[in-house]
Amino acid sequence: MTRLPRLGRGESADIGLLLEGTYPYVSGGVSAWVHEIITGFPDLTFGICFLGATPDMYGDIKYRLPDNVVHVEVHHLMAGVGPTRPRRGRAREVAQPLAALAALHEAMRSGATPGPAVVDGLAALDGDAGLSLHEFLHDDRSFLQLCAEYDAHHEEESFLDFFWTLRTMHLPLFKLAAIGRDLPRFGALHAVSTGYAGALGALVRRRTGVPFVLTEHGIYTKERTIDLAHASWIKDAPAVAGRRALGGLRRLWIQFFEALGRMAYAAADPIVSLYEGNRARQIADGAAAGRTRVVPNGIDLDRFAAVRRDDRQGPPPVVGLIGRVVPIKDIKTFIRAMREVVGAIPEAQAWIVGPEDEDRRYADECRALARTLGLDGGALRFLGFRRAEEVLPELGVAVLTSISEALPLFVLEAFAAGVPVVASDVGCCRELIEGRGALAGDSPGTAGAITGIASPAETARAVVQLLQDPDAWRRARRAAAARVHALYGRARMLAAYREIYDGALEETHGGNRLRAS
Amino acid sequence: MAGIGFELRKLLDRQSLWGLVKAYAYAGVISSGPWVLSIVGVMGIGLLSVGRVAAGEVRQFLVTITYLMAASLIATGGLQLMFARFIADCVYRREEQRVLPNLLGALTVTGLGASALAVPLMFVLAGPLTVRLLTVVALVVLSASWIAVVLLSSLRDYRAVVTSFLVGYLISVACALLLRPLGLVGLLAGFLVGQVVLLIAMVGLVAGRFPSGTLVAFEFLDRKRAYLSLAATGLLYNLGIWIDKLIFWFTPSTSEVVLGPLRASIIYDIPIFLAYLSIVPGMAVFLVRVETAFAEEYEGFFAAVRDGETLADIRRRHDRLTIAVGNGISDIFKVQGTTVLVLLLAGPRLLKAVGISGLYLQLFSVDVAGVAMQVLMLAVFNVLFYLDQRRATLALSATFCGLNAVLTVATQHAGPPFYGYGFAISTAITSLVGLLVASRKLDRLEADTFMRVG
Repeated sequence: MTRLPRLGRGESADIGLLLEGTYPYVSGGVSAWVHEIITGFPDLTFGICFLGATPDMYGDIKYRLPDNVVHVEVHHLMAGVGPTRPRRGRAREVAQPLAALAALHEAMRSGATPGPAVVDGLAALDGDAGLSLHEFLHDDRSFLQLCAEYDAHHEEESFLDFFWTLRTMHLPLFKLAAIGRDLPRFGALHAVSTGYAGALGALVRRRTGVPFVLTEHGIYTKERTIDLAHASWIKDAPAVAGRRALGGLRRLWIQFFEALGRMAYAAADPIVSLYEGNRARQIADGAAAGRTRVVPNGIDLDRFAAVRRDDRQGPPPVVGLIGRVVPIKDIKTFIRAMREVVGAIPEAQAWIVGPEDEDRRYADECRALARTLGLDGGALRFLGFRRAEEVLPELGVAVLTSISEALPLFVLEAFAAGVPVVASDVGCCRELIEGRGALAGDSPGTAGAITGIASPAETARAVVQLLQDPDAWRRARRAAAARVHALYGRARMLAAYREIYDGALEETHGGNRLRAS
Repeated sequence: MAGIGFELRKLLDRQSLWGLVKAYAYAGVISSGPWVLSIVGVMGIGLLSVGRVAAGEVRQFLVTITYLMAASLIATGGLQLMFARFIADCVYRREEQRVLPNLLGALTVTGLGASALAVPLMFVLAGPLTVRLLTVVALVVLSASWIAVVLLSSLRDYRAVVTSFLVGYLISVACALLLRPLGLVGLLAGFLVGQVVLLIAMVGLVAGRFPSGTLVAFEFLDRKRAYLSLAATGLLYNLGIWIDKLIFWFTPSTSEVVLGPLRASIIYDIPIFLAYLSIVPGMAVFLVRVETAFAEEYEGFFAAVRDGETLADIRRRHDRLTIAVGNGISDIFKVQGTTVLVLLLAGPRLLKAVGISGLYLQLFSVDVAGVAMQVLMLAVFNVLFYLDQRRATLALSATFCGLNAVLTVATQHAGPPFYGYGFAISTAITSLVGLLVASRKLDRLEADTFMRVG
């Protein structure tokens, strides 16, 4: 295991990154972006607060930490807790601290933003003034409140499942509050999602007044909703029972993450999204429009321009998908589409480039599917993790079949390397490929094709069309390169964050100066 | 094995008066069988020896056996309860292969412990070497028997217990009569033969039913599985049951020397052992109520929790459980209360019939009430054990033991008219407090079920 840097008592850093399940333990688009940000500001020092689920889910860190990362702390919110002890001294009044949890549930149901009293209550959890974990787990009044909550809103659910759902839901809040109190001093906090990371930002912001920046790549609550709808560990009425679209406990989880999201939106300034579509979604979910802004991802254009291949020979018959082999990327649709592509162009090759260790079962299913479709004889290959600039020059067309994306780096990189992209209509893929939306610029044309989600036939058609029409392929290449250069350069993104960080740090130091005078 | 609850349920479900009578009679036999059989057996040996063996030696035999019972029950009281819980946990976890090796382990521990006690006893006891030797060997055998009884009772196999006791005591009586000519030595030897057969029969039953690849195991002493508080509870409970007798035996003014250090209190002993025979109806009700209604509702409550029922269903189950406890307690009250009334009215004639002086009537009446309270106390303890109230049962058994000791000494000072009240009042107070604790714990069953985890 890598030794992680740690700030000593009283030491501080400029930016505290609050990262949930990403950098530096999980590779992927968001992690790559975080790494980019850290290396993009060598003059600033960064601290990382990593929030994971359980320790067994992560191996060693996946990145070489840049020198300006001066602090890494790792927490696992879903790890079990040991036995608790009652606080010493006389029995305390727990009604007040419990009220914060009740108010949180009220906000979850009503869709309101959890108010300052709720945030204060949550920030105080397991502290001297707040509800202790022991009280939450074992006090009668905590049980009565849980029963009242159940009687009022969940009386048809299994009580045992409701009970454990509430425990599982609230335990991380106790950990978050403690993490927040022990966090080193930072000039500004920067959460790269809502959820637990965003909630942590809101708690610390409320307690210390530190500026809090929020960037969302996807929309956390939306992704959680997809996860939760399929999660087998929630044992509520199955969605097919027809009583409700979604079981009560799943709805409760979604409401929970939505409430955490609203709490983060209320505390953060600015609230950054990657493209217009997500900004609109944030506003719909409770973000104040005035504090939202769009900063698209930017990539190192030169790195990819350097490997761009000569287009005089026409497209090489290689179709590639770069991404983790996980359900959200819908690799199976890619495999099915490639079956049809190989049917039309027998010499065509399909590459799946990405790590398979995140969801082994799904990866095995994908390989089995490829075998079933007769693609295992070399026409389709799983290459594992490869650097994008090694792979992209070999591709004729890049494909993205994800069922959910925000602004996928893979598409930008493909564009920069001169590879047209056939992508499903998710996130801002349409903006990227067709050039619509607020950041359309002087639209240079279509840089590939947009397909429906989970439509192998449509994907195959678009790929075959590009591979068989060298002129259309060259036009798409030019459009791709032109658009990425106009809008999605790394320098442009870093300039935007320089402005955001400067503003936040100015607020902190300005504030300090005020207090000092 | 279908379990005793199932057999009783079968009898009760016929919904006829005759079925009901049979069920309660059956329950009476299997619940009090061992106790009644041992009293009747030992008394029988005594009675049948009158005239054939010197009266002093018959008396010495009866007192020696009484001491052996007291000593073996108290000495194994801790292990009995701890072991019962261990076996119940094994059955719950369906780890039946652990039963036999741990029984042999427990018997080993008991044997070693009782033997360690036996060595100094050889020097303390009086009488010929053979008498002392037979006495300490009987102590080891009786102690081991209680562990086997506990095991079979934990497995709800009361029928095997009663059958073994019947065979064992028949052999004890037969052999004692056969060896009568040898006097005290003969009576003790005969008794011992039957007890050895009883022990072997019970262990054999277990070995036949739960074969195991391992010979001996001591998992019941494993700190992760054993409950030391239960050991303390068992010791205090059994000591509490005997402490009033012990005090009377060792107070010079209420006792006399029978055999060396063994003393007896004629005035105190005869009424109470007679009174103990009256527990049969109460024990029958207890068994029927605890083993059928209560056990089923208890299982039903936890099944509702485990299977993810709604809170409303869990509360309904909780109500039914509470009602089952209330019904059980009140039925014991009614039945044993009626028994007490009958015995109070019939007391004079009864004592006369068995040839006991009317002087004992007063004490006999108090003891009958005290014994009735003890049945109630047993029921309350059982409910608390079901609810896993280990701390409450420990406090209650300590209270019982302490009260019985203090009040018994007080009644000795107050004089003969007050003898027996110490025992009766301490069982009554313990039952009452236990009932209050049980009712409070039952009230918060849901909170405790859920909030005591993790």
